[in-house]
Amino acid sequence: MSSHSESIIREPLITGKNITYAQITNDVLFPVENKPNKAWWIGFTVASIGAMVWLFSISWTFWYGVGEWGLNKTVGWAWDITGFVWWVGIGHAGTLISAVLLIFRQNWRNSINRSAEAMTIFAVICAATYIFGHMGRTWLAYWTLPLPNQYGSLWVNWNSALMMDVFAISTYFSVSLIFWYTGLLPDIAAIRDRATGLRRRIYSICSFGWTGSVKTWQRFETISLILAGISTPLVLSVHTIVSFDFATSLEPGWHTTIFPPYFVAGAIFSGFAMVQTLLLVARKVLGLENYITMFHIESMNKIIILTGSIVGVAYITEFFIAWYSGVEYEQYAFINRSTGPYWWAYWSMMTCNVITPQLFWFRKIRLSIPASWVLSIIVNIGMWFERFVIIVTSLHRDYLPSSWVMFYPTWVDVGIFVGSIGLFFTMFLLFIRVLPSVAIAEVKLLLKTSSEQAKLKLIKEGHLDPEQVEYYKESLQKFDSVELADYDKV
Amino acid sequence: MESNKKYWKGIEELNRTPEFVEKNKHEFAEPIPIEEILSGDGLKSKTPRRDFLKALGFGVGAVSLAACQKVPVHKSIPYLIKPEEVTPGIANFYVSSYEGNAILVKTREGRPIKIEGNPNDLFGKGGTSASAQASVLDLYDSSRLKNPLQDGSESGWNQVDTFVKGQLAGIKAGGKKIRLVSSTVNSPSTLAVVADFIAQYPTAKHVTYDAVSYTGIIQANQNSFGKAVLPHYNFDKADIIVSFGADFLGSWISHTEFNRQYATGRTAKALEAKKMSRHIQFESGMSLTGSNADVRMPLKPSEEGLAIMSLYNALSATTLPGSKKVSDANTDKAITLAAKELLANKGRALVVAGSNDVATQVLVNAINSLLGSYGTTIDLDNPSLQYSGNDAEFVEFANEVKRGEVDAVFFLNANPAYDFYNAKDFAASLSKVKLKVSFAPYNDETAALCNVVAPNSHYLESWGDENAVTGYYTIVQPTINPVYNTRQAEQSLMTWSDNPVKEYYTYIRNNWEKTILPIAGLSGQSGWETLLQTGFVKATAKPAGTYSFNRDLNAIAQTILTHSSQVAGGNGLELQIFESPNIGDGKKANNPWLQELPDPVSKVTWDNFAAMAIKTAEKLGIEEGDYITITANGYSIDLPVLLQPGQAQGTISVAVGYGRTKAGKVGDGVGQNAYPFHTFRNGTFQTTAAAEIKKTGALKYVFAQTQTHHSYEGRSSVIKEATLAQYVKDPASVVGKSESKETYDLWYDYEKPTYNWVMAIDLNACTGCGACVVACTAENNVPVVGREEVRKRREMHWIRIDRYYSFNDNGKTVTKEKEINKLDDLDHVSVTYQPMLCQHCDHAPCETVCPVLATTHSSEGLNQMTYNRCVGTRYCANNCPYKVRRFNWFNYWNDSRFENYVQNEYTELVLNPDVTTRFRGVMEKCSMCVQRIQAGKLKSKLEKRSLKDGEIKMACQQSCPTNAIVFGNANDPNSEVSKALKSERTYYVLEELNVQPGIGYQAKIRNTTELGV
Repeated sequence: MSSHSESIIREPLITGKNITYAQITNDVLFPVENKPNKAWWIGFTVASIGAMVWLFSISWTFWYGVGEWGLNKTVGWAWDITGFVWWVGIGHAGTLISAVLLIFRQNWRNSINRSAEAMTIFAVICAATYIFGHMGRTWLAYWTLPLPNQYGSLWVNWNSALMMDVFAISTYFSVSLIFWYTGLLPDIAAIRDRATGLRRRIYSICSFGWTGSVKTWQRFETISLILAGISTPLVLSVHTIVSFDFATSLEPGWHTTIFPPYFVAGAIFSGFAMVQTLLLVARKVLGLENYITMFHIESMNKIIILTGSIVGVAYITEFFIAWYSGVEYEQYAFINRSTGPYWWAYWSMMTCNVITPQLFWFRKIRLSIPASWVLSIIVNIGMWFERFVIIVTSLHRDYLPSSWVMFYPTWVDVGIFVGSIGLFFTMFLLFIRVLPSVAIAEVKLLLKTSSEQAKLKLIKEGHLDPEQVEYYKESLQKFDSVELADYDKV
Repeated sequence: MESNKKYWKGIEELNRTPEFVEKNKHEFAEPIPIEEILSGDGLKSKTPRRDFLKALGFGVGAVSLAACQKVPVHKSIPYLIKPEEVTPGIANFYVSSYEGNAILVKTREGRPIKIEGNPNDLFGKGGTSASAQASVLDLYDSSRLKNPLQDGSESGWNQVDTFVKGQLAGIKAGGKKIRLVSSTVNSPSTLAVVADFIAQYPTAKHVTYDAVSYTGIIQANQNSFGKAVLPHYNFDKADIIVSFGADFLGSWISHTEFNRQYATGRTAKALEAKKMSRHIQFESGMSLTGSNADVRMPLKPSEEGLAIMSLYNALSATTLPGSKKVSDANTDKAITLAAKELLANKGRALVVAGSNDVATQVLVNAINSLLGSYGTTIDLDNPSLQYSGNDAEFVEFANEVKRGEVDAVFFLNANPAYDFYNAKDFAASLSKVKLKVSFAPYNDETAALCNVVAPNSHYLESWGDENAVTGYYTIVQPTINPVYNTRQAEQSLMTWSDNPVKEYYTYIRNNWEKTILPIAGLSGQSGWETLLQTGFVKATAKPAGTYSFNRDLNAIAQTILTHSSQVAGGNGLELQIFESPNIGDGKKANNPWLQELPDPVSKVTWDNFAAMAIKTAEKLGIEEGDYITITANGYSIDLPVLLQPGQAQGTISVAVGYGRTKAGKVGDGVGQNAYPFHTFRNGTFQTTAAAEIKKTGALKYVFAQTQTHHSYEGRSSVIKEATLAQYVKDPASVVGKSESKETYDLWYDYEKPTYNWVMAIDLNACTGCGACVVACTAENNVPVVGREEVRKRREMHWIRIDRYYSFNDNGKTVTKEKEINKLDDLDHVSVTYQPMLCQHCDHAPCETVCPVLATTHSSEGLNQMTYNRCVGTRYCANNCPYKVRRFNWFNYWNDSRFENYVQNEYTELVLNPDVTTRFRGVMEKCSMCVQRIQAGKLKSKLEKRSLKDGEIKMACQQSCPTNAIVFGNANDPNSEVSKALKSERTYYVLEELNVQPGIGYQAKIRNTTELGV
């Protein structure tokens, strides 16, 4: 992007000695060009067993009917839509990283956007499985599309939030896929150039004839910006529309205008948590410490604490508004959430989403890889509970007390949920084997300006304000991939 | 001019080289190996590359054609000669009679599919009971016997006839006893056939045995007035009703009739006159009747006698020997109050007791005599013939069998091997009887012990008559040929007794011609045909005489006290055995519609249970669902405990009719048998006993309840109720109509130019009996889902009856669960019933959220569900504030896991062809019987007239014995429904949501009184 020297007070985005363009390619393509290691195999085995569980459970559902789930006459949605919203939410970080941060020129996104976008795609696929799975007559799912038909004016219902959902999710999926794939083109070409035989042919086809000419690069940059422009509103709109599923209904606990911003914040919150969960492991296993640095981890932790707090404020606001509205059903819905039979779900949500993320105020925890990883998992658990709380605790006790029920999941519910995680990881693990998990071309852009080497060179040249240099050196303390001894000499 | 120009294609042609000439001989330049291929070698050789696609295309096409499943062929044969009265698609209605109630049987293409009340019926006036509605399903029950049985294996009628006649001849010659045991028979023709049979076999005797017996009342009337009859009660003439454990709205004698009578004192018309009857109930278990009472007091069985004695004392200003106050001061106050009210309403008062104890009933007779009830609210001169069982006679019969004196026994609609208290003994001694014949349509507990089972036909396949109340004769006519190889019991008896009349049909006609038709001034063929159109003959009722009681009560009081002390004996609990409104005495246990109909009070389906007061259970350390062993009279069963608000402390109530072992596929193993807890004392079966209980420690049981939250949480826009005093003072305050606020609508209003179908439901008339639920099930092909699915809260009923408990705490009504849990006194509970069905909202929340427009609004104000369009997202059900939408979780009509209920080639015949069965994954709900609306509109159109108000009736409305439901066109200001909705008691459930429901409810009014409780 830019070839000028970056200010010394900014943390380096690439660390490590002797990092060259070739080295970056070698490092990133290592898992793609070599046999998988043991860790990958273990992960893949576990994940694909999960995917099998998913396949079995969803087939069971299709064979016998949705009745195999724990739903009943009062609770018509439970783990299905909980899972759907959870996965769509997770996907949001990918889009935010790839589109919004690109537009805001946050260069640090370059090392994480690829994985985050892949995560988006896989998460949306998982979410889509719930959309299809929860339908009573899945084989007629295409009726939700406004297709011309022999029934004359038989059309879809544009008033229905589910209808908007169909469009929101399908748009989201297609734009994300195109954006992700466009970004992949130069990297696939890089693999192609290094591969031989059949691999070369396959990657050649997949690279769409990338030549690497200036014109190609220029077009690549342009289309990236255009797609970022298209994707940016999606970050806000998709989860807004998902929240409409609830907000436009009559259910106490759903019928809330705060839902759109609250859902978007929650989505980004859970998405970043999932990126953390994935990358903290991938970084170690794939040896990408030089590209996904502590700076990245800390930045994402900061976003998690911000969005987590927004969500916390939303929770409290909901309570206040329920009281302030004077609507007895609304008030009961919230009292029931926190003290009713599902109190444990509510307090799990509060703990995981509002209380524990506050630990990130401590720099030490922000910079601790195990702590970040554990907290990211906790956030994901909390966000699952958030959707469960919204959906099940609102439905199970709404207007007429005669219809109040409890919801108990069956093994099929659990199987599909656990299985969808397996499906997700299967796809992700296959992804890191066949495609570069870090955007090679984009990282290379940063090498001459924002890498530690470049900064060291600048310091060595000695035209810098010593105070700023000291500041810079101090900031390097947190990196686990920087040899601080190098700086003692200068 | 001819051109001699030559055109050539190439230099070869111009030069005509030899090669060219040679090549030109052939059509194609290169030889095509057609011959080679066809001559065999070619076909065997490798498929040429170019043929690959062809082969592939053909192959895939052929394989997919071959793989196409052959569509099963359902052969339907059109009428070769169409019966004159059958038009496909048009229903025929035939008069008939169910348990003495005149009914109409709806048949389609020769299949009876629905029971409807005869609007002129003496009892229901068009209303029916749940069991009448369900009886049509029994016709197609695949558990019924399909052939007669001889020694347990299928046989033919000829063999059976030969065998029985041979045996009978031998027994006649030997001069040993022959007994015909039946439950109450009030059919004049059947009784005549039996008389003929007895004439043929003089050692024969007819023993009448009712499992749930009313011998106590009959004997008491014999003792008191010299008339061994079951009175005909007139609840409509009573301004004050006091009942001691008589569940007259649920299961007692003529409950359908009593429902109708009871409501006349409490409906809109009565309230307009600012009047309402008062009903005070003293009982142990919470019955349907008790739940409707204005004042209900829990009372232990051992104190029932004391309470009635106290009432007698208060009324007569005397003191019976041994009288003492009941232990609870409030109950005592209530008795005093009841006495005061009864005295103030002499001649308009009625006291009834459910006990089968003669002494107790004699005392009740004394009370009614004091109140001048005879001739007004009690009619002894046109008595009821619904029950005439004689307990002592049956016990004597059992002894005869035991002594080996009986050589032949016939069981007609009687199953003592199941429902006799001493069934085990009886069954064992039955082996001493040489010829045992059962007419049971099932191979039931008694039939299984018999040599011969001669299955009786279902009443819808039979000719017959009934005489439920003196002077009221109803006719039973067949509406279908026997579904299985069954024969009417009367026909069998006639055959076996060599009756000169060969056909039972002829027999009935003769009998009616001779004795019954003349009552109505009818005769001959035309008289018979008139009967087959009206369904009944009613003689002018005799004037009901007044009777006064003038017997000594001292001995009676002594008997009552002894009986009470026996029930209270020991330090255990007191056990009350009762008949549940749905399953009754157990003969209907194989009916899945009735099993799935929730018990009106407990809302439990598919089970009986031990009902226990919350405080009693707390004391004993028992929680809901815990199994306890109940031991009484040397018999014990394990039952799960249900905590029943209103249950008298220190008592347990268990319903009979469950625990069948040979009822059929549906009824077997449902619940536990409580009959052996009965005792035979003072000449009658007693239904109370002292019992010991013990916790078994088995895993907690989860009841299949359709409602598990029991209070309405103070939600006044759901339930509105008031006291009569408040209503009289300010009728408008009952629903508290607020000044109309400006409302804002997102949606357009639908135009309803001609019709706007709406409904009015009077909560004051609804007694919660549940007949509407079964009627709706039958009309709309609602599937039966079974216990496990109900337990998962997935019952499919389109209409349900919500039941809410509220508690009385020092004059304050407590309806919130949290506050209820803090109450010390849980005895004084009020019950509110609310039929809940699709409200057909004008701004229906379900309609806006369906992504595919599967649920839409009609131009007649209906919310319609298009099953074919539904993809099953369930968003509509989630968004329905009334939670009335039902989802087909499974393919209930074609999933082998549900085939036990209504899913076989026979029971499918009961389906209403006007309503489709719904496939898996589809939402359904009340359609406001749209098929009936459509049929009604078509009919009026064909007759070129406008639709009349009341012409179209909803299935639920039609079956309601209390007329709580009114349906009609709101666009017509003079329609019944418009008038009903103008009531100041009208409110709309959850009105503030502005979904504009189409069903208006009339608030419940209670004629309560200050007891200082």
